[in-house]
Amino acid sequence: MTLKERLGRLGRTEAANGYLLVSPTALYALLLLAVPLATILAFSFWTQNYLDIDTTLTLKNYQEAFGEPLYRQLMLRSLMISGAVTLATVLTAFPIAYFVSFHVPQSRKSLWIFLITIPFWTSYLIRVFLWKVILGYNGVLNATLQGAGLIDEPLTFILYNANAVVITLAHAFAPFAILPIFVALEKIDRSLLEASQDLGENRLTTFLRVTLPLAMPGVVAAVLIVFIPTIGDYVTPRLVGGPNGLMIANMIQTQFLKLNNAPLGAALAVIAMLLVGAISLIFVGLNRRFLRGPK
Amino acid sequence: MRGGWLRIYALSYLVFLYAPIALLPIFAFNDGTVIAFPLRGFTLQWFSELTQIPALHTAVANSLMIAVITALVSTLLGICAARAAARYDFPGKRGIMGFIMLPLVLPEIIVAVSLLVVLLQIGIRLSAVTVILGHVLICTPFCIAILNSSFQNLDKSLEEAAFDLGETRLSTFRLITLPLVMPGIISSLLIAFTISLDEFIIAFFLTGNEPTLPVYLWGQLRFPQKIPVVMALGTLLVALSVLLLTLAEYFRRRGIARTGGKDTGGFL
Amino acid sequence: MTRPIITLRDVQKYYGDYHALRGITAEIGEGEFFSLLGPSGCGKTTLLRTIAGFEDITSGAVLLDGQPMEGVPANRRPTNMVFQSYAIFPHLSVAENVGFGLRRRTDLDRRAKQTLVEEALTMVGLGGYGARAAHALSGGQRQRVALARALILKPKVLLLDEPLSALDKKLREQMQFELRRLQRQVGITFVLVTHDQEEALIMSDRVAVMFEGQIAQLDSPQNLYRRPLNRQVADFIGVMNFLPATVSVEDGQGINADVAGLGRAVIDPEQAPGGATSGAACVGIRPEMMSILYENEQTDRRIAEGVVEERAYYGDMTYYDVRLDGIEKPVTISMKNIVGRPVLDRGTATRVSWDARSLVLFNAA
Repeated sequence: MTLKERLGRLGRTEAANGYLLVSPTALYALLLLAVPLATILAFSFWTQNYLDIDTTLTLKNYQEAFGEPLYRQLMLRSLMISGAVTLATVLTAFPIAYFVSFHVPQSRKSLWIFLITIPFWTSYLIRVFLWKVILGYNGVLNATLQGAGLIDEPLTFILYNANAVVITLAHAFAPFAILPIFVALEKIDRSLLEASQDLGENRLTTFLRVTLPLAMPGVVAAVLIVFIPTIGDYVTPRLVGGPNGLMIANMIQTQFLKLNNAPLGAALAVIAMLLVGAISLIFVGLNRRFLRGPK
Repeated sequence: MRGGWLRIYALSYLVFLYAPIALLPIFAFNDGTVIAFPLRGFTLQWFSELTQIPALHTAVANSLMIAVITALVSTLLGICAARAAARYDFPGKRGIMGFIMLPLVLPEIIVAVSLLVVLLQIGIRLSAVTVILGHVLICTPFCIAILNSSFQNLDKSLEEAAFDLGETRLSTFRLITLPLVMPGIISSLLIAFTISLDEFIIAFFLTGNEPTLPVYLWGQLRFPQKIPVVMALGTLLVALSVLLLTLAEYFRRRGIARTGGKDTGGFL
Repeated sequence: MTRPIITLRDVQKYYGDYHALRGITAEIGEGEFFSLLGPSGCGKTTLLRTIAGFEDITSGAVLLDGQPMEGVPANRRPTNMVFQSYAIFPHLSVAENVGFGLRRRTDLDRRAKQTLVEEALTMVGLGGYGARAAHALSGGQRQRVALARALILKPKVLLLDEPLSALDKKLREQMQFELRRLQRQVGITFVLVTHDQEEALIMSDRVAVMFEGQIAQLDSPQNLYRRPLNRQVADFIGVMNFLPATVSVEDGQGINADVAGLGRAVIDPEQAPGGATSGAACVGIRPEMMSILYENEQTDRRIAEGVVEERAYYGDMTYYDVRLDGIEKPVTISMKNIVGRPVLDRGTATRVSWDARSLVLFNAA
């Protein structure tokens, strides 16, 4: 056996062990994720007539998805709502992450993080429903305010519209935003802050010139982690969104289950994925440039 | 005092996080069908009603079965992948692992519809099995995330030492690896169980004639007169989640203490 | 050397394209305390792990007690290892750790195993610690448990991977002494990997100095220090001054060298372990082989003139950088601080004495 052959053999055994061990999981993901996603992509170029699928390739679904004002409006609204949720969540989350990282003693940080994550793990459906109960026409907020004599008529601008969706989603995704920012802040070497103050910056300028830039990767991660799932959220718009708070996921569901137009639903799903992907890439790219920039 | 203002903000944020959940027990024990303050009085009626709904019981049993199987399968798949990632180097590792973790960042509705389309195309009848298939897919990345830290924290020389002292690879895994990653495995099981029990969208799309608990719940939310019962049910669910999470956190910390590592934060 | 217990024949190891071991050939004797010394990345740990059976070799042969080890995994080799991190199983007690390797010994009953464990613990000075939890031990105690755990199996060879690097200085010095004592007591061959030249010199019967996957010199500590084969070895072990020299080799008359700063000298061929050829060369001299002459001190050794450029006071010693007449780069000279020897100021003109027998000749500059 030549040296090269032996090398090849050794290389294979290490790699082969890895492949062997990862293969059940990878195979599962291949069969139940890659194949379905590919199928959806294929469907989006087909058409459906009642129950028959016509597999002639066509762009008709995409033309309809982009041409029909209803779909355009839904996509735009999904983006707007997701954007608003992301902005609200990340902005309110940052001070919390900062507080836990910089003002909570080391021994109690785990407890704080645990407290912040617990609501996330409790039933999503019930949490969303609770907001409906709180914000509704006869809900806790209105009934209580009326009972206290503060308002005469129930407030109506808080339920069954986009505002309610934003509030509910911001609440649901709070831990998702806090954790990555917290992790980024924890990684900051505290002596950097002392160095900055030693070099003449005050607390505020130190925060702006040192802490914030170093926390940026966490902020970007938080943005992505909130933005991606919210744009495809189904439950919240259905429960608290009302007719003007519906989002793209609701339309995808309608196409698949109610209108029996799987190809159009598939096209909408593909477009949603592409939108999410594109915006994610923009953010990742911005983050990279941002990190490289100051050097 | 900067820290002072931040502390007040942080505490009020916690109130915002917990306020909706705090309403659950309040109205679950409230003697009135309207969910509003002031409270009417104390009752256990809504809880006792829970015991008299057969459809609910079927849904709970169904959900529990699905959650247990999902937890076992996804933890097993997670162990394979996490171990492979921690121990071996192979071409395309990042790509493969990234793909397996993809469901973490994919909107669930897309996972749900794409699975639905494929299952219908190949003519598989929707049932608890199809829900399990979907749940395993989305739970596995969470399991890997938890198990990864267990396997990465495991000092490779511990396994080498056991092997060096005469054990085989298999007995090394049994005597050293497994006991040391066991806390990670338990929290992985608990997390996957919790996610599956709570998951709605995929179950909504893939369930057949036997709804899971969230799907059943979804059906009930439309009826205002059922709200107090839903509140009672929610109270129980939240209590269960908190219990499971506390257990998971306990095992995670014990695992860290055991391997002598450092606490690096929560589950995510 | 005694009967060889480890034989390495042209051992080659590749990691992908990286050539980690480039033909290692050596024999390690029975009962020897042997060290593999080198900077990080030189392949010493890789070599140790190929002996243990954790790494396959690409070509060549490893023999243990005359038996070829190809295809024999670590659990069936007559070697045991003390890991750099000690690898104490955190979920087991001290006694369970030490007795770990006895699990498969069916010829021993529980009682006999317990006795062996207690003996091993006593041997490393941890008698009575058996019931303690492993993760509650200090660094030094972990090290002792690791030793007891490996020695209890009475291996033919004990492999130690930088076992002292995690300990603080005081404890390290104490453990160096104890390891040596333990090795004499059990009579087992020890192979120690270290990057600390002092440690290797203190503890070993023989040392292999490794650079870039090759053994640069394999010798006793004294020979390594006094007659390093080349400048790289000389530089790695202790401190050595290197002075440019012009050499002419004449048969039967030794080696004539014209050394910058020192002058002409005749060098014994034994002091040119790497061989000598006429032409440009380099001469090495250790700092303690030169001394500064005080006031009217007389000597029959050779003398050079110079000026103190810098000094570093170490308490027991003072190191001087002295610029000798005729060369740019100052030489380092170490002087013991004894009564009547003041520490010289910078700028002091001094005389430096030296001896041709302490020069080492290296080929090329």
